[in-house]
Amino acid sequence: MLTLLEQIDKGTLWRIPGGIHPPEHKSLSNQSEIARLPLADHYLIPVPGVGENCTLAVKVGDAVTKGQALTMGEGFRHLPVHAPVSGKVIAIEERASNHASALPVLTCVIENDHQEQWTDSVHGPLSPEQVAEMDSDTIIRRIQAAGIAGLGGAAFPTHIKLKPVSDIELLIINGVECEPYISSDDRLMQEACDEIVRGIAIIHQLLNPKRIIVAIEDNKPKAIEQMEHALNRSQLPNHCARVNKIPTLYPSGGEKQLIQILTGQEVPSGAIPANLGILVQNVGTAYSIAQAVYRNMPLIERVVTLTGQNVAKPGNYWVPIGTPVEHLLEVAQFRGDTNAPVIIGGPMMGYMLPDVAAPITKGTNCVLMPSEQEVAPPSPEQPCIRCGECAQACPAQLLPQQLFWHAKAQEYDKAASYNLRDCIECGCCSYVCPSDIPLVEYYRVAKSALRQEAEEKKQAELAKQRFDSRTLRLEQEKRAREEKAKQAAERRKAQMTGSDKDAVAAAMARIKAKKAADEQSSTGSTTDKPQDKVAAAIARAKAKKAAQKGDATTATETAEQQTSTPRATSADNGDSATLSQKEKVAAAIARAKAKKAAQNAPESGDTSQTPAQETEANAPLSQKEKVAAAIARAKAKKAAQASASDEQVTPSESQTNIQNGARDGAKASSPETIKKAKIAAAVAKAKANKAAQASAGDEQVAPSESQTNIQNGAQDGSQDGDKTSTPEAIKKAKIAAAVAKAKAKKAAQVSASDEQAAPSESQTNIQNGAQDRAQDDGNASSPEAIKKAKIAAAVAKAKAKKAAQASASDEQVAPSESQTNNQDGALDGAQDGDKTSPPEAIKKAKIAAAVAKAKAKKLAKAQAETPNNEHKD
Amino acid sequence: MAFKLASSPHLSTKAQTRGLMFKVMLCALPGVLAQCYFFGWGTLIQIALAIAIAVATEAAVLKLRARPVGKTISDNSAALTGLLIGVAIPALAPWWIAAIGVVFAILVVKQLYGGLGNNIFNPAMAAYVMLLISFPVQMTTWVAPSGAALNDIGLMQSLSIIFQGADAEQILAYRAGIDGVTMATPLDAVKTGLSTGLTLDEILTKASFSDGFGIGWAAINLAYLAGGLVMLKLKLIRWQISTAILASLFVCASIGYLLSPDTHMGPLMHLFSGATMLAAFFIATDPVTAATSTRGRLIFGALIGLLVYLIRSFGGYPDAFAFAVLLANLCAPFIDYYVKPRAYGHRASR
Repeated sequence: MLTLLEQIDKGTLWRIPGGIHPPEHKSLSNQSEIARLPLADHYLIPVPGVGENCTLAVKVGDAVTKGQALTMGEGFRHLPVHAPVSGKVIAIEERASNHASALPVLTCVIENDHQEQWTDSVHGPLSPEQVAEMDSDTIIRRIQAAGIAGLGGAAFPTHIKLKPVSDIELLIINGVECEPYISSDDRLMQEACDEIVRGIAIIHQLLNPKRIIVAIEDNKPKAIEQMEHALNRSQLPNHCARVNKIPTLYPSGGEKQLIQILTGQEVPSGAIPANLGILVQNVGTAYSIAQAVYRNMPLIERVVTLTGQNVAKPGNYWVPIGTPVEHLLEVAQFRGDTNAPVIIGGPMMGYMLPDVAAPITKGTNCVLMPSEQEVAPPSPEQPCIRCGECAQACPAQLLPQQLFWHAKAQEYDKAASYNLRDCIECGCCSYVCPSDIPLVEYYRVAKSALRQEAEEKKQAELAKQRFDSRTLRLEQEKRAREEKAKQAAERRKAQMTGSDKDAVAAAMARIKAKKAADEQSSTGSTTDKPQDKVAAAIARAKAKKAAQKGDATTATETAEQQTSTPRATSADNGDSATLSQKEKVAAAIARAKAKKAAQNAPESGDTSQTPAQETEANAPLSQKEKVAAAIARAKAKKAAQASASDEQVTPSESQTNIQNGARDGAKASSPETIKKAKIAAAVAKAKANKAAQASAGDEQVAPSESQTNIQNGAQDGSQDGDKTSTPEAIKKAKIAAAVAKAKAKKAAQVSASDEQAAPSESQTNIQNGAQDRAQDDGNASSPEAIKKAKIAAAVAKAKAKKAAQASASDEQVAPSESQTNNQDGALDGAQDGDKTSPPEAIKKAKIAAAVAKAKAKKLAKAQAETPNNEHKD
Repeated sequence: MAFKLASSPHLSTKAQTRGLMFKVMLCALPGVLAQCYFFGWGTLIQIALAIAIAVATEAAVLKLRARPVGKTISDNSAALTGLLIGVAIPALAPWWIAAIGVVFAILVVKQLYGGLGNNIFNPAMAAYVMLLISFPVQMTTWVAPSGAALNDIGLMQSLSIIFQGADAEQILAYRAGIDGVTMATPLDAVKTGLSTGLTLDEILTKASFSDGFGIGWAAINLAYLAGGLVMLKLKLIRWQISTAILASLFVCASIGYLLSPDTHMGPLMHLFSGATMLAAFFIATDPVTAATSTRGRLIFGALIGLLVYLIRSFGGYPDAFAFAVLLANLCAPFIDYYVKPRAYGHRASR
């Protein structure tokens, strides 16, 4: 078994599948030496990279010398372009591009002054020894600065290709030139073989490949001869470089096909030849490399074949890059009419130029101007008869008719599954098709559709990544804020004065006392003392609760019995303001019971509501009565909700209750009274909420309910601030209210652990928090108060968000809902700041209000998965 | 300046579908002439009739489908279908046999599937099978090859038999009056003989087998073989399908003959009797209904050869190409799906 290198040394060639033998027509242009044409007055240098990886080095009006770089760039991928003549930059604007689309591209227009003033950096040729002493970086830099791109047509930057990812074992110099008509490489090899070999030697110096093959088709015997002589004359190591004569077959000059012919290897799909340790360079590129390294000569001209029967002087010409094609048509005496095609490149892979004002570019090797006999207008497409000739001709061994079938049906994914992307668009399939189907065009359309699809997918993926990272960032910010808030809270606690603590403790103690009283009152004993009365009320409430739990029928009966009593009482004493205590307590209890009963037994609702309303109409009630009433109502609610574990609690009812309680508190006038009443009210509300939420573990608690409750609570707090004048009272009341609300919220959150909030909420929170802060700033007057209020607000908000997000993940909470809540809370806070005058009071009130609001928001959001507007009255 | 823009490549071969089809018809000429020589004017009349009806039907359907009539007719595919049906039906079958077959082929098998390039089944063979099943008497009553019948039915006689409703009995009577030999194709004769317990040797001693394969049939097959070789030379068809059919049939027949020479025809008899060469070069190579890749075509051809052998030897019909081709048509998309060539730069798949 011979190694690959041994086989190469033997000159072994491999066959490629497919391929065609189109008429060559090379003799039209390859009979004369490469000549020069009169220069144009204007040159067009496209600078599409400007703004991406480079900047313009000139501006309109600048004088330029021949070979001066027009762009500056730092990156390794930057490929400069140069002025092909000396003269003046007269415009930098969009001009038609040398492309099948002729889409305008930013172009530097240079007016030729015909002075041929060279730029200073170009110098006389160095000696081979001097070049041999150059290090690789210098050579690569020179090649990059010369702006050398692959001259075979693809125009890929050569300096990038010369820094391959892997070791290059085989260097292939492509002189195949398999397209019909084109002979620019053929003539260049005949006339500048030594310069080409110098370029090859430079590549050898850079990459040190084990073998170098110059591949030339056997229809160019003179070029083969010249190149063989030049290689023999060169200083390249013996047996390293050779000329391989390969059979004429289109498309042998394709990079992949040439590699297959010379090595029998295939470039894996999606890979580049460097992965196989192979580098392919065009002969023209080798020539330019030599020019660049020996003379520092930029790539400003190239050999272009002007050919076809529509041109009077076909042949090969040195054409400055940037020459407008129309100038070439003129000086080469184009004979076609305005509808005659001008093809850039060969007849197999070239494209018709829509606008002859476009310039010659680095990749333009041929301008073909065929007559109608040479290139007929496309014949109409006929149905595919599945003859399979295309598959026989395909050098990539694809199934062109299957590709066509799917491309035509726009089933691009299926076309892709037939390896559409491995199509090199050589045109063999279209060439052999007896039905004149423009197969390659179908593939181009399909390819661009697939590219677009992939691009869209990529964009979507990017958007997703952006979103994810944003979410992560917000999360981190939030955590940082929480951390900060926690520290702030600790600082604040440490700063708290003794009296503050006492007040809180006192409030707590009172609450506890009430709780104890509630527990004791289970025996149901009634005394004359207020406390006993309270207990009695509680006991009655509980009894009702038990009754309801036991039996629905009994409940209804009880409700009826109980409603009858207060109705009578209130009817009798409706106008009297001097009702005894007991009666009033009883009335309050009755009201509570009536409501409860109404809820559980709707049939009795009509009757029970009337007395309750009547009783409520009774004006100024004494302190104790109010306390009792509040407690009673609260318990009633609790009981009602607790018993309603299977049914749905009518939320508007309990809501109204709490509002009532709040109103009661607000109406009281004496400071003493206010204090107690408020505490009681707060406790009652808190308990009610707690109970309601705890029992709602399985069912849906109408979320707007709890929300409204809390809003009410907040309003209460603010109303308290409004109407009461004693600072002492304000302080205590607020603390109590805050504690109560906080507890209620906590309970609600615990029970709401399954329910979710939408993530967008947290963002809204933050925004609102900011608004809150701003409003606090604006409204509160005392600096002291502002400070504390802010801290408190921040703490509260942070906690609220945390809780909401912790429970949030699946369901969507209507964000507008929670937003409204927060705004309400914020407004409350602002009102607090405005209306209360003593600084001390402001401070405390704000803290309490902020905490309460924050928690309220949190709770509302956690539970508000089904915004239930009907409960919001 | 405004050029008329076209996508690359800007060159194309001169090869066109219409030229391809026309050349295929020309290549069928030797076989057609041989058939005329042995079966008389009837063959030519049938061919002309079938082609005329085929083109007329195609034109009518295209008009109904609002497709360009002239351009499509000129691709010659309908004419080729007509020709193949014309040579496949007995020379003196009544005219409506050809008419029904051709209309079925063009209208149902080809145009209802979307016209040229879209049909699943070979139109000529589908029509032949339809006729064979629907009109077995007319479709199996072959006139005696002239070498055996020792007479020639004149042009006018042929016309009157075909168009004036001479039924099969009349033809039989007519023929019986001439030479007293009941005519059937050699394959039919072998099948009948084998089923009556005769050995192959005994059957082959009959007069109609005087040249060893059945008078006329070997010559006709050779003529089609010649036409097929010309097509290969002109690259009108690729070699894979024809070669695979003949090789597969030869191998199968050889195995059968070696195992049981008394009850199985020899491989050469298989190759040179019935429609073997006609089908191998002119029918199975219809690109529309065949597999497309090189390997796929080999499989496609081999499948036809195997099916022909199996049906000829063990099936109910003396010849089997129509059935075999249709069955292979069914398999073609499947073969194409699983036999994809390995594309450049890809590892061997499946």
